[in-house]
Formats: sequence, structure tokens, C-alpha cells
Amino acid sequence: MQTTRGKLHPLKTALEIRSCDKLVDFYITVVPVKQSNTVLKIVRQAIPNDGGLDIQHLRRFAKLADLPPEVRATIAAARHVSPTITNTDTGEEEEGVGERVLLVGSINASTKDTLTELLAPVLETLALVVIQVPFLTPTSQEQATRWTARFWPTVYKKSNLFGPHPSLANRAMESIAGEVENWLGLAEEVAADAHEEGRGERVGVVVVERIEGVGRVLAVAADARWLDWPRETNGNVSAHAAMRGVGIVAVGLKAKENLKSDTLSASSASLPASIFRDEPIGETERAYFQPSDKKGYLCHELEIYCTHEPCVMCAMAIVHSRFGKLVFRRKMQRTGGVCADGELGHGLFWRKELNWTMLGWQWCPDGEDKDGEGAVDVNLNA
Amino acid sequence: MTSPVVTWPEDAASMSEGERDVHVRFMREALVMAELALKTNEVPVGCVFVHDGKVIGRGMNATNASHNGTRHAEFIAISEILSSSTPKHHPSILQKCDLYVTIEPCIMCASLLRQFGVRKVWFGGGNERFGGTGGVLDIHLSNGRELGDKGEQRRIESDYEVSGGWLREEAIVFLRRFYVSGNEKAPEPKKEKKERVLKLDVEPVVKRAKVDG
Ligand SMILES: [Zn+2]
Ligand SMILES: [Zn+2]
Repeated sequence: MQTTRGKLHPLKTALEIRSCDKLVDFYITVVPVKQSNTVLKIVRQAIPNDGGLDIQHLRRFAKLADLPPEVRATIAAARHVSPTITNTDTGEEEEGVGERVLLVGSINASTKDTLTELLAPVLETLALVVIQVPFLTPTSQEQATRWTARFWPTVYKKSNLFGPHPSLANRAMESIAGEVENWLGLAEEVAADAHEEGRGERVGVVVVERIEGVGRVLAVAADARWLDWPRETNGNVSAHAAMRGVGIVAVGLKAKENLKSDTLSASSASLPASIFRDEPIGETERAYFQPSDKKGYLCHELEIYCTHEPCVMCAMAIVHSRFGKLVFRRKMQRTGGVCADGELGHGLFWRKELNWTMLGWQWCPDGEDKDGEGAVDVNLNA
Repeated sequence: MTSPVVTWPEDAASMSEGERDVHVRFMREALVMAELALKTNEVPVGCVFVHDGKVIGRGMNATNASHNGTRHAEFIAISEILSSSTPKHHPSILQKCDLYVTIEPCIMCASLLRQFGVRKVWFGGGNERFGGTGGVLDIHLSNGRELGDKGEQRRIESDYEVSGGWLREEAIVFLRRFYVSGNEKAPEPKKEKKERVLKLDVEPVVKRAKVDG
């Protein structure tokens, strides 16, 4: 179809974006290796259950040498000038030999006075200082490495509480990577048709079913908001491309059901007038309309390829329809409902509180002309 | 004192009895639609659109019959309004309509209502799972943007007002009756089973107390 190349970029979930920079203040203190168990015991009694915080991604003890320079500097300063130092020795000893730094606890979980009182009797030198540490578990190794260099030794657990599991997401990406350009090209084609014929905005989608690794188109749909509709409005909101894609798949399922059931076969005869544009319009849409052979539930685990990031309504429609994968080409910074890092920030493709999550990517073609011919008004609800 | 309502929503406090009765009457019409949905094995949500004090469109959930997960009551009602009257209503009529819906509009429908420019939404039960007018997101206000720490929300074009809690106990009882038997058409979602249960907290439904006087 097209010869341009591009790349799939996994979308970030709302939680991933919000967890990125969330830091909390923690006490740390230097502890002689020999006393580390004793001190940890005291800390655990003073702050049971780490004050309710999950800090499993943070190392409990760290070598001085493994800490970021800023943290080392803070510790060094505290050891020499801090009033909490009870038995200061000369400070000439070599830094860090036979010592560890303990992550004590959140400043909200205990007070400096309380901790000093408990720890001073067992620690010859007590330098309790406050540093910032990442609040949430990292979602990638790169993030963990970055946090380790900036804040505190952080462990990546090869799981992602804030988004799809990394290995699952990677496998899914590999399964579609070779076809993305093709499907998006088809979506571009119907979008251009609809635009040229004046029945819709230049937005299109392609719905694909994947069986044993092989993708097959079930429906192709372009925006049809201006079809039989007054121009001085937002258009027929129910005829956005994604809504139509879902609708056309549903008509396919319904037709299958009617074929099998004698009792229902009459019902399709006289459809009442409606605003829905659930039938394929134009040559390309009709050519590619092919109901699934499976008896599916809604759009369960299907893939949707969109020329533009769907609006809030369409994004939620895609969730309700239980799509498994979503790819779009052009991000709609102001009106998009899919991404978590746009102006709205909803990130509807993956939100824990909703009962369905899917994998999402933006496809970015190589080269300068990112939006190509398909750029639309920035305020458009695609 | 005459309306047989178990608990009044907050907004009712400042209303006259007559005014409250109007909203209760329309919500009852929406509940009739929800009951119809329940009888046809659909998630029991119903709605009516009111224009100039008259119901001009009705809708009920129809996702199972249509195999289309987007056929919520609000879509069905808007479709009816804009396609079945003669002469056809202009879409701008929706800007002069109030919607009465038994359960808070979901995020999708909240956006639909925003894009069609509906004037005001009255709902029964809140929707903690999908709600788009306060339950999960605030699509009715600034399209759900987070507006920072300022409590005051700037009203922008196509924002709409929302009032929840009208006959919510009855709306939620319908849902409970549906979900107890289970939406047999839906496969188990990826997540644990328990999350499928609508978490619509409702106080125990008190028997309607007839208040004397
Ligand atoms: Zn849309
Ligand atoms: Zn809805």
C-alpha cells in the first residue's frame, strides 16, 4: 500500500504518567553493618508496616558508594554539623567502610525526635537526614536506573502495576508490527473518500480480527457526521468513525444471529429510522465489510486502527466494546480520550477503575511530515 | 411531603414541592424504560429527554439485542428524537432539553451529551464504575480536564449541569436484579470476577414511609 516506514510507540497509562515524578520524603541514616539488624528491628517497631507505604521497589540498605552524589553530600554534611549527632567522633574515618545507609521511613510515619530517641542509644553516630525517594514502583528498567542515579537504589520488578505487563505488551506489538502500516493506510484511504465526498471529517478506522496470528479486516469505516446533517452543528456525533466501525461489526454479528434463528429473521426487514450509520458507505467500506466467522461478543479482543486519536466518546466506546488493541496515527492533543499525556489526560485505553483495559500505540511514520495530508482541525473530536 | 421518595437528593433541598414533583415524575418515566430493558434482558437503564415540559424521546439500553456495546439509553433516545418526528427536529433542539436518566451517564454518553450540547442531566444512581458526570470523570465540566487546586471550575462552552440522586434506590434495585442473575452474554472480563459486580453503594432500601400531613 504505502512505502513509508514508521514506529509503534506504546502509550503511557494515566498511572504511569502520574507515577513518573511522584516523590516522598524519607529519613535515612548511616548504620554500621554489624548493627544493621538491630537498627532495622527498632525501625520496624517504630514504624510498623512502613506506615502503610509500599516501598518494596526501594533497597532497604545501600552502600554509601551506591548513592547519588547529592545524597552522599547531604549525609556528609549532616554527620559533621547536624545537632542530632550525639557522639561525634573525629569524622576522619574513611567514608563508608563497614557502613550502610538505611532507609528508615517516611517523614509522615514518625518524627525526627521519636526516631532519635529510639536510635541514639544503639547508634554511636546518628545522622538522620531527609531525602526524596520515588513513591511508586518503576514501570521499566530504564526508569529504575534513572531513579537509582538520582534518588535512591531502586529495583525494577519486571511487572507493571500501572499498565500492561511489559512482556505481554511486547509480544502483542510484534504480532501487529508488520501489518500496522497496511491497516492505517486503508483507514487513510476511506478517510480521504469521506472528506472528498463531503460526508464526514477526514477520519477513518479499520477493525481487524486476528486468528492464529493472521489479521483480517472485519470493517472499515470513515467519519460520516455530515451525511444528511445540518452543517451549523457539531455534526452527527454518533457517526464518528470509531462509532461506525463498532456499529458495522455489530450489524455483522446481528446478521449471523438472524441467519441461525428463524424466529428473529423478520426483525431485520424493517429497521426503524435512526441517526446511526451502521451500514458500510462507499466502495471501499463495502468491499472490506466481512463479518467474522466466529460468534463473537461485541468487539471482544479485536484490533482498531485509527487515523486520529479517538475523542472521549469514541475512546470509551472502544473500551465498552472490549477491543484488545488500539493503534492511532495522529494524536489529538486537545480532544483525544485515549492518551494520558494529552490535555485531557484521561488515558481511557488503560484505566484500572474501568472493567476493561487494552493495549495502545501511536504509530509514527519516519521523517518530517508527521501528520501528512490527514491533519485536521485541532479542536475536532475525532 | 406527598412525594413517595425515600431520600431526596441534595439539590432538592432548595426546591419547592411542585418543582421536586416535576423531576420525580420525569424520573419515573425514565424508570419505566429501565424496567422495559430489564424485561428484555438488557442492563436496566432508561432515560427520557424533556423539552418544554414534555417528553420528546425515550431510550433504554439495547447492547445485548444489537450486539453493540455503545447502544446505551442516551444514544437510543437521541436517535429517536432526531430521526422519527415529522418534520424532523433540528439537532439544536437538544440544547433546550433536559435528560432524565436512571443511572449516571457513562463516560461515553457524557461526551455524547456534551457534543450534542444537552442543557442539563438529572440522574438517579451514581455510576462508580463508568460514570462520566462525577463517578469516574467529570466530562460535563471542561471535558473532564483536571483544573488544578482551585476548587472553582471555570464554566466553558458546552459544559452542562448535573443533578444526581433522583429516585436512586429504585434505579439501583433494577440493576441489582439484573446483575444478580448476571449478564449471561458477557464473557468474564480479564480481571477478577468480583470486579464485575457494580459497586453502586446504596444504603439499604427503606420501605417507603407514608408521611402523614
Ligand atoms: Zn469520536
Ligand atoms: Zn453510556
